[in-house]
Amino acid sequence: MLETTVRVVNHLGLHARAAGQLVKLARRFTSRITLRKPDGSAEADARSMLSVLTLAASINSRLIVEIDGADEREAMDAITHLFEQGFGEL
Amino acid sequence: MHRVGGVIVSHGQLANELLAAAETVIGDLQNVAAVSIGWHDDVEAAKAEIRRAISSVSQGAGVLLMTDMFGGTPTNISAMFLDEGEIEMVTGVNLPMVVKFATHSKGGTLSDIAKDVEEQGKQSIYRTASLFAPAKSKKDA
Repeated sequence: MLETTVRVVNHLGLHARAAGQLVKLARRFTSRITLRKPDGSAEADARSMLSVLTLAASINSRLIVEIDGADEREAMDAITHLFEQGFGEL
Repeated sequence: MHRVGGVIVSHGQLANELLAAAETVIGDLQNVAAVSIGWHDDVEAAKAEIRRAISSVSQGAGVLLMTDMFGGTPTNISAMFLDEGEIEMVTGVNLPMVVKFATHSKGGTLSDIAKDVEEQGKQSIYRTASLFAPAKSKKDA
């Protein structure tokens, strides 16, 4: 199991199109990928867009990414990269 | 595997726009069609259009009709097509419901999907003041 904290850097936050990209990426891996607010107030399955949107993660918010499964290393690299790139919106 | 088909039926251009918005975030949706009924359209013409839309998305696993408003004409016309196990309807369609429908797993039955879409629609409505107010006071929330 891997865990890291990512920051939302794009201006619009984790909005619908960004969430759509995240979900598409998450579905490429077999590992279970969970996003959690650091204060524990919300948790989302990265494979479900509607679940991801409930995080309402705006710019500069931090999220804990937890990945568990056979391809967790590759999945973590890809997911953190997507956040760093601001979902291609920077 | 055959997928359940979906038809969004609404007044005005709402159905087309809901489908377009869902496709913008999820990608092309082959198994969903939209029927926008003009305010002055003839009932028979609207019925024929819904029938065409149903057959265009039907793969033999059933079709879910998602209509805009209970009691409205699009819903009333759609209700003529209800057929247990074959065609179901959920009213009050919103974007999260279309997304839920579009992202359901391939093996789901019509009945399961109809239930999930109905629940999603209800769960996706938030009164946001209490959700966003605390975050505003903290820059790094």
